[in-house]
Amino acid sequence: MAVTPHTIAVAGLHAPGRRERFRQWWEQEHVFGYGLILPALVLLGCLVAYPFGMAVYFSLSDYWVGSPGPFVGLGNFREILANDVFRQTVQNSFVFTALALTLKTVLGVWLAVLLARDVRGKRLLRGAVLLPWVIPTALSTLGWWWMFDSLYSVVNWTAIRLGVMSAPGPNWLGQSAWAMAAVVIVNTWRGLPFFAITVLAGLISIPREFYEAAEVDGATNRQRFWHVTLPLLKPVLAVVILFSTIFTFSDFNIVYVLTRGGPVNTTHLFATLAYQIGLQGGNLGQGAAISLFLFPMLAMVVFLQLRYIRKE
Amino acid sequence: MKRTTRRQFLKASAGASAGMASWLALGRAPAYAQKRELSFLSWNHFVPAADDELRKQAEAFGKQANCTVRVDTMAHLQMPAKLAAEAQSQSGHDMYRAAGADAFLYENLHANVDDVVDKLGKQWGGWYPFSAEMAQTKSGWKAVPWFWISFPATYNMAHFKKAGFENPPKTWAELLTMGKTLKKQGNPVGIAISHCADAHSTYWSVAWSHGAKVLEADGKTPGINSDKTAQVIEFYKELYRDAMEPEVLSWDDASNNRFMLSGKGSWIHNPVSPYNAALKEKMPIADDINHHNSPAGPAGAHSAPPILSIAVWKFSKNQELAKEFIQYLFKKENYDAWIVASNAFNHPPLRHLADHPIWARNPKFAMLPKEAEFAHPRGWPAKPSDAVQRLDDNYVMADMVAKAVNGMPTKRAMEWAQDQVARAIKGQLKVG
Repeated sequence: MAVTPHTIAVAGLHAPGRRERFRQWWEQEHVFGYGLILPALVLLGCLVAYPFGMAVYFSLSDYWVGSPGPFVGLGNFREILANDVFRQTVQNSFVFTALALTLKTVLGVWLAVLLARDVRGKRLLRGAVLLPWVIPTALSTLGWWWMFDSLYSVVNWTAIRLGVMSAPGPNWLGQSAWAMAAVVIVNTWRGLPFFAITVLAGLISIPREFYEAAEVDGATNRQRFWHVTLPLLKPVLAVVILFSTIFTFSDFNIVYVLTRGGPVNTTHLFATLAYQIGLQGGNLGQGAAISLFLFPMLAMVVFLQLRYIRKE
Repeated sequence: MKRTTRRQFLKASAGASAGMASWLALGRAPAYAQKRELSFLSWNHFVPAADDELRKQAEAFGKQANCTVRVDTMAHLQMPAKLAAEAQSQSGHDMYRAAGADAFLYENLHANVDDVVDKLGKQWGGWYPFSAEMAQTKSGWKAVPWFWISFPATYNMAHFKKAGFENPPKTWAELLTMGKTLKKQGNPVGIAISHCADAHSTYWSVAWSHGAKVLEADGKTPGINSDKTAQVIEFYKELYRDAMEPEVLSWDDASNNRFMLSGKGSWIHNPVSPYNAALKEKMPIADDINHHNSPAGPAGAHSAPPILSIAVWKFSKNQELAKEFIQYLFKKENYDAWIVASNAFNHPPLRHLADHPIWARNPKFAMLPKEAEFAHPRGWPAKPSDAVQRLDDNYVMADMVAKAVNGMPTKRAMEWAQDQVARAIKGQLKVG
């Protein structure tokens, strides 16, 4: 029997107050559920969707700082593709990401395996490893910048004294290959802790029994790593590599502080070039197009990686 | 601590609410909140004492005009992005230190300052010609030229003497000859070929001295791909190979100062800041450092000094106050104090204000004011424009030279630059 105000009145009960009715409405599952995620949605809408929408709008219009322009379709994208500096930047970004990611993956797994060992002061050691990741990048990169300085490079001084380099040593930030090496080194230095600690978490969660079983079967250390550790680490590694790909592709601080994209644009990444053209040069439309250029590619990477992780 | 009794609390809160009520009723902020605030965005001056003096004068003006003047300063390389953000959001400071082609880039967003420029010009014997070229747009003066920074050559007299040269180079060709000997001696010369402001200041100077240009006079035709530019590039290539070291490819704006002060460098093209820094830090090298006018080339001597001006945003609610403040800064005693604070780094764009004893008194500074005679804004013979600004922002000429010294054939480097110049101009034509 449906409960209507009439039945309530007949039963001699009070009609529910406004507050009570609100409570009943609010406690319905679909209202309550959506109500709970609403704040997060608003936040995402304001901080992610809105800027993203604006960026798409900018990239499709001839928008200059202080002077909104007409819709130009894919004109900005055609323009940047025709620009030699942009093509150079695409190449730089892939070289930079590939190198830094490979180094971070190899060294990160290695470091994690070392950190997983039971040694004295284990916690202190693990904490210390995180340091490069904790210090503000702009600050630590300034330190590196000074270490690579053409006149006062500590790196060169040390290497020359050790006899590894012949004087005066490479001009780190002034020659294309060396400058790329410098930004890759600093990016690796900075991103390594993230890799190591996340992989370490994965390592620790591998049950001891697998190793014991392997040992009983007479597996060597190396075999245990290749056949037990690595396969079980795969899901964790896939996630870390996914994150790191995005972070590395969109790096800004390191390049901006160390080289500002030079020498001759050979270390420009999407973010630094977008900054130079969009904000310093005032061409917001092209700046947005440059930073969005990466979006389809990264979306593809995310899609493939997530599918892979789900399959695992 | 004295405890507040309930009675006192009631009294105080009643008073406060009554006050609040009358404030709301009047629809006006109480008197103390009405004090106007004028905000000025400037850069971190290379001579910090100049900023201190500026703040002092700002405070004095505030007292006089019954307002507060806030002077914010930031690194000069960060300023374009900050200004872009302020222009975009139509909010921020009331006035700012404009550079390059800002007056043209933000022509429609700047308040007109014809009246101030007119008045100051009449008062101080007229503006140097570059002033109008820097700040006068089709729709009037969009900034008040504030000061310029002479961009002479700085050299180490001891190194030159050791190499057997009594006098510094008068021409770029002489610099090349002397540089070769100096490099062999272990004291190379240095011109930045990198992503920094100095790299372009020097490029313009060298290019004009060789009769080369980047844009044709109409400002709409790329003019960098020419025989004259080829000569400029050849000069750079030879200088890079025989008189400089590869470090110039990674220089920032402070690198050449360090190069000089470390005692290694023999010659740089730069404002007088290394000398001032050496004096301040009481470094013995100050005695060896001297200056000479920017070298000449087949087409005479030309200089592209940084020229700074003050612009007032159109969105500012304090435009009149801002204009008063500008005039206050140009009072003789204020401007003089400011020149002294900067130790001759800040040059006035007004003829009579330039008659300051600080230059005549120090033989190392005596030749500096002369540079105003052959100074041009960047882009010359074209008017400065946002296209010129974009070429500077994107370091096009520095990159062209860098490509060439790294082995790209001169012709190809010029074609690359020509394409970039065309792109910069195309952007300019799009702006409404």
